[in-house]
Amino acid sequence: MAIRTDVVRLYRQVHTWTGILTGLILFVCFYAGALTMFKEPLERWITPPVAVTPATLDRAEDLVAATRALRPEVRDFTLAVEPALAGEAPLRLTWTEERFDPAPWAATLAPDGSVAVEQLNPSGIGLLVDFLHRTVGIPGDLDIGTTVTGIASALYVVALVSGVIILLPSLVKDFLILRVTRNVKRLWLDAHNVLGLISLPFHLVIALSAVVFGLHDHIYDTLDRVVYGGQMRAVAAASSPFRTVSKDMGPAGMLPPKEFLTRVHSLAPGFQPVSLEYHDAGTGAATVRVWGYDPRYLVRREGFVLMGAVDGRIIDTEYMPGHQNGWSATVSAFFALHFGSFGGGIVRWSYFLLGLAGAALFYTGNLLWIESRRRTERQAKGRSIVGPVEQSRTTRLLGAGTVGVCLGCVAGLSLTIAAGKWLSGLVDDLHAWHWGIYYAVFLGACAWAFFRGASRAGVELLWASAVATAAIPATSLLGLVMPGLWLSDGLIGVDLVALAGGLVFAAMARGAERRALSGPRDSVWASPVERSDSEMGVQPLAHPAE
Amino acid sequence: MTDASSIRNTHAPIHPDWWSKSVAGVVLGFSLAIAVAGLFAWIGPGGPAAVNKLQFIMWLVVPIWLGVASVCFLFRSGRQAWLWLGCANILAHTALLAARSPLLH
Repeated sequence: MAIRTDVVRLYRQVHTWTGILTGLILFVCFYAGALTMFKEPLERWITPPVAVTPATLDRAEDLVAATRALRPEVRDFTLAVEPALAGEAPLRLTWTEERFDPAPWAATLAPDGSVAVEQLNPSGIGLLVDFLHRTVGIPGDLDIGTTVTGIASALYVVALVSGVIILLPSLVKDFLILRVTRNVKRLWLDAHNVLGLISLPFHLVIALSAVVFGLHDHIYDTLDRVVYGGQMRAVAAASSPFRTVSKDMGPAGMLPPKEFLTRVHSLAPGFQPVSLEYHDAGTGAATVRVWGYDPRYLVRREGFVLMGAVDGRIIDTEYMPGHQNGWSATVSAFFALHFGSFGGGIVRWSYFLLGLAGAALFYTGNLLWIESRRRTERQAKGRSIVGPVEQSRTTRLLGAGTVGVCLGCVAGLSLTIAAGKWLSGLVDDLHAWHWGIYYAVFLGACAWAFFRGASRAGVELLWASAVATAAIPATSLLGLVMPGLWLSDGLIGVDLVALAGGLVFAAMARGAERRALSGPRDSVWASPVERSDSEMGVQPLAHPAE
Repeated sequence: MTDASSIRNTHAPIHPDWWSKSVAGVVLGFSLAIAVAGLFAWIGPGGPAAVNKLQFIMWLVVPIWLGVASVCFLFRSGRQAWLWLGCANILAHTALLAARSPLLH
């Protein structure tokens, strides 16, 4: 495809700048985002096994009644159906006091019919990867972090479009060619292009939806003023699933939980219920949302049908897979495409791998920029073409920042996952410990990278990432012999993936080591110790690898 | 339309005008996207109050906005970008006002 060379040159600059400005933020978003695909298994991997008293849903009615009697002020709560049916968790009602509550309350039924209320203390690793994915770990208000990732995602859309424009002229010629030669930069460029092109649809969907997730408050505010004349609240309320629910707060009886499941089944037999979410329980306005999924449809993380809790009538199906109107179905499809919450295990694993590949895309992007800087600096300084180039301050800082942030995130996440199993039951607030460990490793890695420089820190932090990731299967293995640790049932996948990850990081560490010793002398990645003593001896290698 | 013609016009050089074009793409692209999405809300199927159409309208803003912001570097200069996008904005917002006007219904 013919595109003017000056257009390509222009867009190469657009691509470079948007990439440099967002690469590190997006690396964290993608690496943590890949892990969110398996946050439930991770959470269970860390949680000590408990003997679950198998309770059938028949007792759920008693549980609701007894909890209502004990805590009449709690009117909004959730009955988890799926884990109870699968025997993975006891039958319990849970409720939270804030939207993202790391320690929700739970009521369970003792065999004698009495109710025990306790505050749960889940490891919180699921919440951690989720927050990291949304906010890159920027502390404080969730809004600040999501606005930052929203802006980064907007630049990322521009980077994707410009990347495609750059590649169009050579697309037919070069597509899917990996030139494995001595030319390291060429290899990185090919890897970057291949990764970017084959996952382009995924990246476009993720980028556009991430902008929506990050900036929707601001867009809604503008729409309200410009398009809806300040009446947007009324328009939104007219679409609310609860729009027809009465305000009757007088006491009223509710149907047993099993009845809602029966009615949902007759409405949509393919729908698999996960939980019942009660609202205004015990009043005339009481409702139940039956949450669940249907792998045949693209829906948000989960869909729901809203029912009256008193009479069991179907109130709203706008969020129910296969029962939505065109507008809801289109928007739901975008949610599903971002979350990978369709198509079951195959899509989950694909999204996991695509997320890791995305992280690799940003890492290679930064490496490419650093390598091209070397050439432009040589040209700018008019040095002889064979002489080494002194790395500029910016290049050195970006090199150090890249290894510090990316590998700090990797090592921090791996170590905090492994530590969860060691600390489980030993500490009170495991959730806070998870964050403490992550920040300590992440900030430590960043400081180390700037202190040691990109080449040495790159190798050392890759080894650290390999060790931290291998600590996950090592912890499980120790669980076989050490009291206090355990091998998590049916979660061998967590250990195997971590083992593979550890091996990959070790291989990368060896590659980086080799490159530091025998790669081009004037690269940011060259070992600085060697520079003074044997410059002449290694000099010839500098040229072919350029 | 402008973009296509500036590609075809092979002899006119493209001035980078980074700041001018970037700001035009981000700011005017955003207000253009709001107006186009808003027009669709008012004159598209179902009218502005259709159930859950509001969410769709919000999603519509982002691809239009970032599409404009991405291609606006194709304008020959920053001035051209402001001129064309400014005119497009005036047109779109006038049409939106007209669509919202109860007199026309």
